[in-house]
Amino acid sequence: MTVSVLGRPVGGTPTRSSGAGLPLTGAQSGMWYAQALDPGSPALNTAEYLDIHGDIDPVLFAEALHRTVGEAEALRVRLVDTPAGPRQLPVAVPAPGSGFPLHTADLRERGDAGRAVAAATAWMRADLAVPFDLAGGPLFAHALFRVGDRRWLWYQRVHHAVLDGYGYALVARRVAEVYTALATGGDAGPSPFGRLAALVEEDAAYRDSATCERDRDHWRRHMAGRPAVPTLSGRAALPSRTTVRHTAHLGPEAAARLRELAASVRATWPDVLFAAQALYLSRATGRQDVVLGLPMMGRMGSVALRVPGMVMNVLPLRLTVTPDATFAELTRQADLGIRDARRHQRYRYADLRRDLGLLGEGTALVGPLVNVMPFDYGLTFAGARCDAHNLSGGPVDDLTVNIYDRADGSGLRIDYDANPASYEDGEVAAHQHRFLDLLTRIAAGDPHRPLSELCLATDEERERELTEFNDTATDLPPTTLIGPIEARAARTPHATALIADGRSWTYAELNTRANRLARHLIGLGVRPGVLAAVALPRSADLVVALLAVLKAGGAYVPLDVEHPPARLALVLEDTAPACLLTDTATRAAALPETDVPAVLLDDPALAAALDRQLPTDPGRALTPHHPAYVIHTSGSTGRPKGVVVPHSAIDNRLRWMQGQYGLTAGDRVLHKTPTGFDVSVWELFWPLREGATLVLAGPGEHRDPAALARTVREHGITIAHFVPSALALFLDEADGELPLRDVFASGETLPRALADRFHATLPGTALHNLYGPTEAAVDVSHHRCEPGGTGPVPIGRPVWNTRLHVLDAALQPCPPGVTGELYIAGAQLATGYLGRPDLTAARFVRDPFGAPGERMYRTGDLARRREDGVLEYAGRADRQVKLRGQRIEPGEVEAALTGDPRVAAACVTVREDRPGDRRLVAHVTPASVDAAAEAGPLDPRALRAALAARLPEAMVPSAVVVLDAFPLGPNGKLDRAALPAPAPVLGDRRPGDAREETLARLFADVLGLERPPGVDDGFFDLGGDSLLAARLVARVRDALGADLDLGTLFRAPTPAALAARVAAGRTDDALGPLLPLRRTGTRTPLFVLPPAVGLGWCYAGLTARLGAEQPVYALQARGLAGDAPPAAGLEEMAADCLARIREVRPHGPYRLLGWSFGGNLAHAVAVLLRDAGEKVELLALLDSYPGDVWRGRPAPAEADAFAELLRMAGEEPAGDTPVTRRQIVAALRKEIGTPAAALREETVAAMARAAVHHAALTRRHRPGVFDGDVLFFTAASSGGEDRPSRDAWRPYVGGDLINRDLDCPHAAMTRPGPVDAIAETVARYLGERC
Amino acid sequence: MALTLEQIRADVADVLGEDPADIPDDENLVDYGLDSVRIMTLVERWRRDHGTEVTFVDLAEKPAIEQWAPLLGART
Repeated sequence: MTVSVLGRPVGGTPTRSSGAGLPLTGAQSGMWYAQALDPGSPALNTAEYLDIHGDIDPVLFAEALHRTVGEAEALRVRLVDTPAGPRQLPVAVPAPGSGFPLHTADLRERGDAGRAVAAATAWMRADLAVPFDLAGGPLFAHALFRVGDRRWLWYQRVHHAVLDGYGYALVARRVAEVYTALATGGDAGPSPFGRLAALVEEDAAYRDSATCERDRDHWRRHMAGRPAVPTLSGRAALPSRTTVRHTAHLGPEAAARLRELAASVRATWPDVLFAAQALYLSRATGRQDVVLGLPMMGRMGSVALRVPGMVMNVLPLRLTVTPDATFAELTRQADLGIRDARRHQRYRYADLRRDLGLLGEGTALVGPLVNVMPFDYGLTFAGARCDAHNLSGGPVDDLTVNIYDRADGSGLRIDYDANPASYEDGEVAAHQHRFLDLLTRIAAGDPHRPLSELCLATDEERERELTEFNDTATDLPPTTLIGPIEARAARTPHATALIADGRSWTYAELNTRANRLARHLIGLGVRPGVLAAVALPRSADLVVALLAVLKAGGAYVPLDVEHPPARLALVLEDTAPACLLTDTATRAAALPETDVPAVLLDDPALAAALDRQLPTDPGRALTPHHPAYVIHTSGSTGRPKGVVVPHSAIDNRLRWMQGQYGLTAGDRVLHKTPTGFDVSVWELFWPLREGATLVLAGPGEHRDPAALARTVREHGITIAHFVPSALALFLDEADGELPLRDVFASGETLPRALADRFHATLPGTALHNLYGPTEAAVDVSHHRCEPGGTGPVPIGRPVWNTRLHVLDAALQPCPPGVTGELYIAGAQLATGYLGRPDLTAARFVRDPFGAPGERMYRTGDLARRREDGVLEYAGRADRQVKLRGQRIEPGEVEAALTGDPRVAAACVTVREDRPGDRRLVAHVTPASVDAAAEAGPLDPRALRAALAARLPEAMVPSAVVVLDAFPLGPNGKLDRAALPAPAPVLGDRRPGDAREETLARLFADVLGLERPPGVDDGFFDLGGDSLLAARLVARVRDALGADLDLGTLFRAPTPAALAARVAAGRTDDALGPLLPLRRTGTRTPLFVLPPAVGLGWCYAGLTARLGAEQPVYALQARGLAGDAPPAAGLEEMAADCLARIREVRPHGPYRLLGWSFGGNLAHAVAVLLRDAGEKVELLALLDSYPGDVWRGRPAPAEADAFAELLRMAGEEPAGDTPVTRRQIVAALRKEIGTPAAALREETVAAMARAAVHHAALTRRHRPGVFDGDVLFFTAASSGGEDRPSRDAWRPYVGGDLINRDLDCPHAAMTRPGPVDAIAETVARYLGERC
Repeated sequence: MALTLEQIRADVADVLGEDPADIPDDENLVDYGLDSVRIMTLVERWRRDHGTEVTFVDLAEKPAIEQWAPLLGART
């Protein structure tokens, strides 16, 4: 089988000026830009085939096809990029057999029809991977396969910029009609198709109309205040070159029932499918507010009904899915939403994205597209019926669900097309399988029941979630946190229990001290159910104090001495402890005034009192249900909330930890976590329960990674915990010699890269990722990180006696891969929040899957399961944030802000305005004038200082932005997404070199910024969009001669990154003797010789027009950078150029081109090459004349060169005023964006001197004879009567002098317009396409 | 039986789930929620019940009742 060659237009001289052809419609532009993003991508190919059941005459078929294509004007175009934007020009379509792009093959020898069809579709898939050349055209290809005696497949592939799905139907219908007429001797009648121009006009008229304005307003209003648009993958990626497709079918019975359901609620069946997909998406993403992509045919009431072109549009369909609503209501909502969208359907998707500021990567406007194709073609080819099979619907941003009504009554075909950058193959199949399962259950159910009854998981998935993945029951004795510690002290009294403050204590010593203090505390009223506050720095006293509270039967309340006193006062107020254990220094430095009786551990009187206490374990009526500790976390209402954890919960946690990681007497556990965080609970008590040694880091040492590493090394620590961000710092100080056996990470997401670094740094140490909220006794899941793991680090599987449920909004289990909220049930749940029954009831809810009376804790964390049941963390369901391991409720910070009399309202968010830079930012509005007059002006700095006095450091916003008013959405709610970034928006890292400087300036020019951005600012973050990106790329190409495509800009969107990309491709000095304008490309390189001023930059435009496959190198005169003397003669200069050329290309064939003086030089180089026996396949002279013609004329002076330079820059010298160097520098910078550092006034002076010198060389030079053809371009609007004639070359050219007149003056030959014509003529001369 | 203007309006209102009195003769039915599926429903219904020969494109090109009436041979 041979692969067809695309037919190319033959003959004709298509013009290339920007005025030719037609502009693109909005719909076409979208596809054109999508292709420009990745010019080599075949993703914009669309294709289908018709399976024709009957006999076909291939000759008549080809004729029908050719005639139809001839009639379909909109199909028969190529798209060229012009300075005025892309335009479409007609292409000639040769007849079948003379280049018409129709491949035919008879595949019957493959055996049965099945094999033949497989061979044909394999061919089609290979063909689908071939990208079209937009500028070359034609943008369609066909194939006709015979797969049986009476069965044929007709395949067509078309670029999406010229045809959409409806257009396919028009083409197929007409081909069938013409074929039938040809086969039966009938008359197919005149072309049924409308004109392309009408389509373009209609589009332009719409864009200028008031309707367009109204539509724009409608969509902006409709989409304002939109939430982040959920997608099933939860990821965002640029479109890929390929699409993953899974095809499935919904049976006829279910399909019929869906139709009945639609009719019963007065909707259409596509409405039902939209509703079902919205339900699926809502459940799968945990969002009530979802946005589906609604493809619109866009032809109703339009001339486009009869034009096979690209018209379709995609609109957002925003739906709200609440668990209480019924499916019928959701269908009605979809129906009304679609009707509403239809009234504004002509407003383009790309324009809407731009209006909404959704630019660059990672910003979706819609979730999955639901593309319902309700019609079968129903065509016949002279009686032979056929069915259509779509092969590709074009690029897929995220996910497209294509639904085809199979008109033969066999139900629906449902294709899932996914972007492989966002979805694993298996994920797509799983979503599809579940969606069909859901559709089947919807079809079978009552549409008037609440949606909460419909769950996403299949029965099998639900069963695994509830049993297999949560099979953690383990029988444990009913003990407490403290009991096993006392038992251990009795068993190993002489073992080392504690190392702190530079000494060590045995179990017996520690136990005795704690017992004496406990007995003292009992005297102060501490007993089971009573709280005692502890505010001590990390020290042996701290350990003794905590043990004593527990031994007394009480629960301890840790006060973090680094928190502001005002906050500690709130905690004391909330907990009303029986006493406060502290020391003199801490009380003086860190504690608020309080009525709570203090127990000062450094008080000599206390020491005396303790000596009188018995050293034995005190008796107490403690049960596992009594509280062990109360730890406070950030509370959204403005007060920290105390989590009450019972002994049973923490006992389970520590027994699991011992079962899992088995501490022995030889282990040493590091305690470094402040006691306000519950990680400290296992650090402190696990070793003391198991006979190991507890080693305390010094006070403040938890912030000093080098000191920690020293402690670990010196004390032989085997077990330690780190919050991942702290682990990253620790690893900088660590090496493989450290004695660590197990390291535990928790508190925030553990990045895979960090885990990898851990394994590389500490190859002998195990790394465990633990997860759990304070409300469930430290940790509820665990995962051991193995070296070489990939993907996100999971939070793992549940600990003993613990069930973890990933549930959707209707509290139904989520299937694997689907993100839901994580609920915790089992032994480790906290009792609740101290003194907050309302809050407790809201978070600790009835467990619908457990025994009667069991509760589950709603974490607010999002998670999803892998197929094997392992859990992955997926962010927060609410506004709670974690910054550097600290849990922060923005509401608490907001409450603190609005507590300030100067502030009326506040909103606190975590922003990442710069990648990797997450910070807490507050937006506030000032209080009324009166209040402000009293309290003083609103100064952000003063506000931060006030907050720092009340909140822990991590909760103080790093920036406070004062606004007159908050941005509001249409519903009157605060629009968080519209809050401005804190100033300065522009980064401040200055350019490090000329290239970065140029790029920063081009960014500013293109984006309309007041000053150049920092070199780390992203183009899209600064407001760039794809249109502006295309403009920037063009400017960069011109200014730096870099062969850059749009995709590169997306991958390297900052001046610094882009400069690095450019440098990687080209590191040359802009004034050097050889300037590569494009290094890459498959064609024979083109060498361009400089005009009299000596620089080759002027050929940048030509390089761009010659296309990506043509390498171009510019030769430049020596001496411009002041580094070498000028050449003494033209011949010597040519020899020098030739030496440079040979460095790039040692042997022919060669391609040469020169403008003006460059032409003389090119001719001389060509003569030298021929003398050396090399082949010269192109010698192109741009309005260049031999020295003979100049000899009778006055020699040019520097002033003339200045004037010429100014003209080259596109400016006309003003009358008699002499042109200055500065003027030229300014004009050149403006015109070609020359690297500023390279172009100085001295350079301009050197250029002018060179021009005069080169003119003299020309006059002296006697050219040799070049024995080939010369391609000559005449600047036809230059000069008058006495302009030189190209015939002056006749004596020096052996071959033909082929001329093309250009309607421009000599100085404008390398400007846009003329270069188009030059590029096109050169390419055609060489038999290539540009 | 030939179509009447009233019948056209009643059928359009039916597929749109609206009251016939709310469907004007001279306005773009797209603004009232008419889509290609509903147009196909009408094309098929009128062919079956009234023997009309209009195509989807005929109706979609000028989606208003007064434009359709002559195409459908309706008595006004």
